[in-house]
Amino acid sequence: MSPSQTNLLQGTLDLLILKSLNTGELHGLGVSRRIDQITRGTFQVKPGSLFPALHRLEEAGWLIGFWGESENNRRARFYRLTKAGERQLGHETEEWQKIAAAMTNALKAT
Amino acid sequence: MPLWSRLNSLARNLVRKSAIESDLEDELQTYAAQLADEKIAAGMSTSEARRTALAELGGIEQVKQSVRDRRTGTSLELLWQDARYALRQLVRNRAFTLTAVITLGLGIGATTSIFSAIYALLLRPLPYPDAGRLMYVSAQTPRSHFEVLASQDFVAGQTSTKSFEQFAGYYYFYNQNLTGPGGPSRVTSVNVTANFLPMLGAVPQLGRLFAEDEDRPAGPPVIIISNHFWRTYFHADPTVLGKSITINGKRLTVIGILPPQFSFPDLTLEPDVYAAADLDRDTTIAIDKPMIGIQPIVRLRPGVSAEHAQAELQAFYMARLHKTAAELRSFFAGRKISLQPLQRHIVGDNRKPLFILLACVAAVLLIACVNVANLQLARAVSRRHETALRGALGASRLRLIRQSLVESLMLSSLAGVLGLLIAFAITALVRNAAAFPTSPSSSRIAQLLQLPFGKLSASIYVDGWVLAFTIGLAVLSTFLFGLVPAISGTRLDLRNALQSAAMRVTQAREQRLLRHGLLVVEIAIAVLLLASAGLLVRSFVNVMRYDSGFDASDTLTGTTLLFGPRYQHPDDHGNPTPSPDLIRIFIGNLLPRLQALPGVQSAAIASALPLGEVHDTAITFGPPTPPPPAATWETAPGISVTPDYFRVVGNTIVQGRSFSSNDTAASPAVAIVNRALAIHYFAGNALGKRFNWIVGRDQFAPLTIVGIVNDVRHNGLEQQVQPEFYIPESQSPSDTLNIALRSTTDPALLANAMRKAVLAVDPQQPLFDIQTMDQRVSSQVAQRRLIMLLIACFALLAVILSAVGVYGVFAYSVSQRTQEMGIRLALGASRRGLIGLIVAQAARLIAAGGVLGIAGAFLISRLLTSMLVGVNPHDAVSFSLAWILMTAVALLASTIPASAAARTDLVSVLHTE
Repeated sequence: MSPSQTNLLQGTLDLLILKSLNTGELHGLGVSRRIDQITRGTFQVKPGSLFPALHRLEEAGWLIGFWGESENNRRARFYRLTKAGERQLGHETEEWQKIAAAMTNALKAT
Repeated sequence: MPLWSRLNSLARNLVRKSAIESDLEDELQTYAAQLADEKIAAGMSTSEARRTALAELGGIEQVKQSVRDRRTGTSLELLWQDARYALRQLVRNRAFTLTAVITLGLGIGATTSIFSAIYALLLRPLPYPDAGRLMYVSAQTPRSHFEVLASQDFVAGQTSTKSFEQFAGYYYFYNQNLTGPGGPSRVTSVNVTANFLPMLGAVPQLGRLFAEDEDRPAGPPVIIISNHFWRTYFHADPTVLGKSITINGKRLTVIGILPPQFSFPDLTLEPDVYAAADLDRDTTIAIDKPMIGIQPIVRLRPGVSAEHAQAELQAFYMARLHKTAAELRSFFAGRKISLQPLQRHIVGDNRKPLFILLACVAAVLLIACVNVANLQLARAVSRRHETALRGALGASRLRLIRQSLVESLMLSSLAGVLGLLIAFAITALVRNAAAFPTSPSSSRIAQLLQLPFGKLSASIYVDGWVLAFTIGLAVLSTFLFGLVPAISGTRLDLRNALQSAAMRVTQAREQRLLRHGLLVVEIAIAVLLLASAGLLVRSFVNVMRYDSGFDASDTLTGTTLLFGPRYQHPDDHGNPTPSPDLIRIFIGNLLPRLQALPGVQSAAIASALPLGEVHDTAITFGPPTPPPPAATWETAPGISVTPDYFRVVGNTIVQGRSFSSNDTAASPAVAIVNRALAIHYFAGNALGKRFNWIVGRDQFAPLTIVGIVNDVRHNGLEQQVQPEFYIPESQSPSDTLNIALRSTTDPALLANAMRKAVLAVDPQQPLFDIQTMDQRVSSQVAQRRLIMLLIACFALLAVILSAVGVYGVFAYSVSQRTQEMGIRLALGASRRGLIGLIVAQAARLIAAGGVLGIAGAFLISRLLTSMLVGVNPHDAVSFSLAWILMTAVALLASTIPASAAARTDLVSVLHTE
């Protein structure tokens, strides 16, 4: 299956973004690259989905955006998990694991 | 998503819109630049890297839009766009906006004002705890016209009924003489049972209320005063408890002050002082026992229905009839007890006129809405092209309807604000009028507004509920006038609409039907209102034309009451009773002084003036001794008058003679009867005949009829004339002295001289209620006059609005048919013919509206019956006048656009096409 054809399930993108920010603050491109990295290239997030998701998560109070300096000395907008975001990540990870386990079991059954 | 965070973002998105937008732009630019940096680092050329990066980004604008779509408050923002668009439209069409806002504003303002009055008088809960369980008890007795309970019956009911938590009551003396350091004055005193004030939740601001056993005969001489009296008479003296005041010569110790917010449950009464009721605990009714009429207010036990309580009381008082002395039983026969919620009792007869007013004003509002709807419809047609274009550019129909509704809402909000301002102004005017009781200095408007609902007017103000009502009205009117044009305006075939030339040849048939239908409704409502106004105006004229039997011009009146020990002596049982001799002396001193006043033609004193309050006394026919059985008693009011009375009030002696100074206490007792009595009891042949009137508990004294006078209405201008008789003041002095002066100058100028004359006879005697007779008449008809004026104003407003509607519809139709007019002219139609064409079209609609209106009036004018005097609810004159007036005005309005059509410039029409 080619990576570009993998459709992100509704909500999966949020979880991936939260997860990517768990290790520290990142700018938009950073988030995109990090997701690429942690999913080993399975998911490539396009700006058209990334930015709406980032802004929605920020509005929900799970991320906080701020202006900072990028590695190339560009003024870039960075994102950081808030406390609420961390809780949400924990919660969503748990949920996902339940679903994943259930799906795996379901698909194993013959 | 947490609500707080969402609200926060909403606020930020709305307030810091441009900052957020530029942040987004920067963020995406950085993203593109970083992407390019990566590619350059990977070896791409700078320009190649930039191009690829932008391509990968997928278009900055598209990304921005998808972020925007996800933002909180996007739909709000669309609404905001609609609102701004609507505002621009409204500003651009100033004439339309102004017409619509003023029309609707007047409608909403008038409706809100009337609703304020209705809310204040009928709907606002009474200021008593759990007021829903408070009931007023009335006892109708067909024979004796009592509506109150006899004190013995009241006391029996207090102790022996089960439906009530409290059984309280009061009786009042409207005018009492207060004497003291500030000179004599009049106070209103109410006697209440001990449980009355606690039942209404009154908590004294100082002192205490009555103790349980203080409401009995010869109870302690204590009194509770109102906050108003405390402030005016005692200047808010905090040490007033234990001080005393003198009312009718009796010293009473102040024990408590009621709080300012306490209001007595009869708003026509504003008691200055509250005394404890004199209630004998002995409940037998007998002819030689004093009996007081009590007005009971009760509180139902929780869970007991008014019907149940009423049934219990009815049964209880039926059973008590046996306790009543046999000779008095006939007075109580057929007594009907009825329980009424206290609120309804307080408002009383004011309900119906208020509802009628509300209906009329709502009709005006409806016409206003119809007018604006018509304007909107017309505009929708001329904006078709724009609407179609917006549709073609991708606006959904829902969006177009929403846009149209937003515009209507905006209009009605503006109108709502205007309406509210109008309502604030009107209610403030009414309140101020009520706050300053009628005095010669108060303005005519104030008098007009104040009198009809008396002290009730003071409680009329625009409060939260009224505000909610106005907002509701604004929203409702949006839907009434906005929805139809919105839907019909957006339902169109794009292709047709865009082909504008085709569009203008004929209007959409459906739209025209709708506009014309609305116009017919509008005219019908106006005719209906006009017909109702006509009925009321005719009734008013009839009331004023009523043969009042007296001449109200050039007469000044005033009242003084000879109450208290200075004009009393002990009767046979040692009880204080008014002393005829002392009263005769007072009158003997006063009358010559009054007659001698400069500007006074003649002066008289009477126990009741025309239109004033009279009370029935018992009369019998036949031998006065032995005492006639009570079953044979008849009732008629007897009025004590001095000899010049008939001359002063302008009543004429029809037969026989007037009283003279020869009728004295020593001469034979004589009476003058009114025509009604002469006809009812003596078939008109009364002169020289005799009848008896009651002078003691069951003692009757004969009177010889020496004259017959014209009928004069008492107890109100619209009351039926009843049999009445007059007796000489000298033979039967009354302690109620109403002074009447017929003057040769402006009667109002005599007020001071009259007061001085009374004080010269007795410096402790207050004179009050000084008014010209004309003022008394006018206050009698004040409510009727106000309602008539208001409905007439509403009707005129309706006519004007309908005329504007006719003008608007046809002006629009003419403007759309310029081409047709041009062609007609080109084919040889005369200009006069064109006018005829348009007017004839209008006339069809106007006629339809007229017929509908008359039919409506025919069906619903019966609702007005209770307010009509001497006129049939289907009065042909009022109906046809209404129809003629509306038709004439509407036709006139249609000639304006018609003549505009006739002025069509043939050449320019042909040029434009």
